[in-house]
Amino acid sequence: MTSPIIVVLKKELLELSRDKRVRTSAIFGPTFLILILLFIFGSVIGSLGKPQGQKVHVVKTNSLILEALKKAKFNVITVATLEEGQKLISSGDARVVLDIHEPQNGQIVIDGYLDPKQQTGEIATSMVQGLFSEASKQGLKKFLRMNNMPETVAEPIKFNRHEIQVGAKGGAGEMIVGLLPYLIVIWAFYGGMSVATEMAAGEKEKNTLETLLITPVPRTKVVIGKWLALSTVCFLSSASSLVGLAIYALARPPGSDQLFKNGLGLTTVSAGIILLLLIPLVGFFASLLLAISTYAKNVREAQTFLSLASFVVLMPAMFSQFIGLTDFASAKWVNLVPILNTANNIRNALLGKPDLTGVAITIATSLTLAAIATWFTVWLFNREEVLVRV
Amino acid sequence: MVRTQELRKYFSDSKKSVVKAVDGVSFTALPGQIFGLLGVNGAGKTTTLRMLSTVLTPTSGYAEVAGFDVAKDPAKVRASIGFMSNSTALYGRLTAIEMIRYFGGLYGMEGARLKDRIDYVMDKMQIESFADRLCDKLSTGQKQRVSIARTILHDPPVLFFDEPTAGLDVVTSQTVLEFIEEARTLGKTVIFSTHIMSEVERLCDAIAIIHDGTLHGAGTVAGLKAETGEATLEQAFLRLVKFERGQAALQK
Repeated sequence: MTSPIIVVLKKELLELSRDKRVRTSAIFGPTFLILILLFIFGSVIGSLGKPQGQKVHVVKTNSLILEALKKAKFNVITVATLEEGQKLISSGDARVVLDIHEPQNGQIVIDGYLDPKQQTGEIATSMVQGLFSEASKQGLKKFLRMNNMPETVAEPIKFNRHEIQVGAKGGAGEMIVGLLPYLIVIWAFYGGMSVATEMAAGEKEKNTLETLLITPVPRTKVVIGKWLALSTVCFLSSASSLVGLAIYALARPPGSDQLFKNGLGLTTVSAGIILLLLIPLVGFFASLLLAISTYAKNVREAQTFLSLASFVVLMPAMFSQFIGLTDFASAKWVNLVPILNTANNIRNALLGKPDLTGVAITIATSLTLAAIATWFTVWLFNREEVLVRV
Repeated sequence: MVRTQELRKYFSDSKKSVVKAVDGVSFTALPGQIFGLLGVNGAGKTTTLRMLSTVLTPTSGYAEVAGFDVAKDPAKVRASIGFMSNSTALYGRLTAIEMIRYFGGLYGMEGARLKDRIDYVMDKMQIESFADRLCDKLSTGQKQRVSIARTILHDPPVLFFDEPTAGLDVVTSQTVLEFIEEARTLGKTVIFSTHIMSEVERLCDAIAIIHDGTLHGAGTVAGLKAETGEATLEQAFLRLVKFERGQAALQK
């Protein structure tokens, strides 16, 4: 005989598959949102990292510096006077204005004018500085060589940077590693949020719950059937964000090389670990969502409670964006903090250096919470004052 | 058979005071009989039916449905009953046939038995023409027919109808009432809760009058009229619940 759990699960999935909200908010939403976000981030980061097209205003001059700027593909705009350039900065129409002076004692002085509160000004200025500091260094080395002096005099202290390969080769850049775990985790919650309200509170409101309760199926099995269906939606929603990521990495639009410096770099092991981490987390989220929906009198009340609960989920998920800037990312106790632990371990997997002990502790923590939340939902489902209150 | 003895259900309200929704109700409904629970809105009829269908646990007293104690054998009670209320909705995103099949699965039916019963109820309630239409798209009458099909799919010996015609048009009400009469001829025990006197007079073999959670009279319609000396059931009802003229205006 088919288990009642399967009967309930199949019916819930059939209904959900016909629900527009599931398709839009749980499947297409995360996929396209990730694609759009990555596209915007890639474009912005791509343009920030290169001098090409950076707008630089220069006070009218015949200096060779002007040619050097153009050669480096800066978008050079000439202004008649410094005052005119300063007005353009005040109005936000110029990022940086360069006033290039005539050479004196073999040195060209460039005054750069910018609004320090404007990020684009800081970026353009640092690019111009970078271009000329390298040119100055090369000029000095040439001078030293001509005078038979060692080039090292030009750089009395030299710092060498050596990159050590930790974990798998490739991997997403730091920028995307901060963002992705957050998105993957919150979509697991938000994807299920839209449909959870219907599963218990909606059934109370529409008076379908009572017909379900008077069937011989034990309430525990009804809850488990619903919980499995909701977990599936939460999982699909979260996995959809991964699909969006994969589409972006495969399509490689302009700017993607800045986000994924060595390609996506997601190994089968890392992908498997991410999925393993997600399964107990979506189980926990589904039970939490279902418990709230069961407790609520109606859909409206459920939506209010769920909005509050979403903040509880959002806070640790948000912190996961910045954890890479702290030492917490490698602290063992983080694996005991719900939600943050999953996001942090997804981050490590995306970086290609999964911590297997951390993954195990995280899965155990999420499973424990999922079990407690499911037990609580079953308990609520057996409370007549919860089920029949209106 | 359905039998209750001193059945009680008390609730605590938000002010921690006790609300006696049902207070010591006793009656017996026999197979092949339509037993009416007659009372105004809020009298305790729905609470009684909810206890009999095991949705609510009685505070005290005894209730037996199809030979099973509602407190000790709730699963067996649930397998023996069909419950239909006018407020009961259908799953809007399921088609009529999917809705019926789903409940068949919940009642542990499958294979040839399920198919046979589905064929029977579909034919009985004339559902074929709209079987593949989503329940959300059905007319009120069609929805009611699907509800009845769901109620009788597992062929339960006991049927509960909680104000099944409230809000329905004359034609749809007629379908429901005819179905209830047919259930009696099939030997089912039918509990019919209503506040519509004409339906009680047409259908019920025996009635219990419930008011403020307590039983104010029980017997046949003719018997209650004779007992009160009133010509109509409505007048008999008002006398039994000790209704006094002007009381309605005061209550308003």
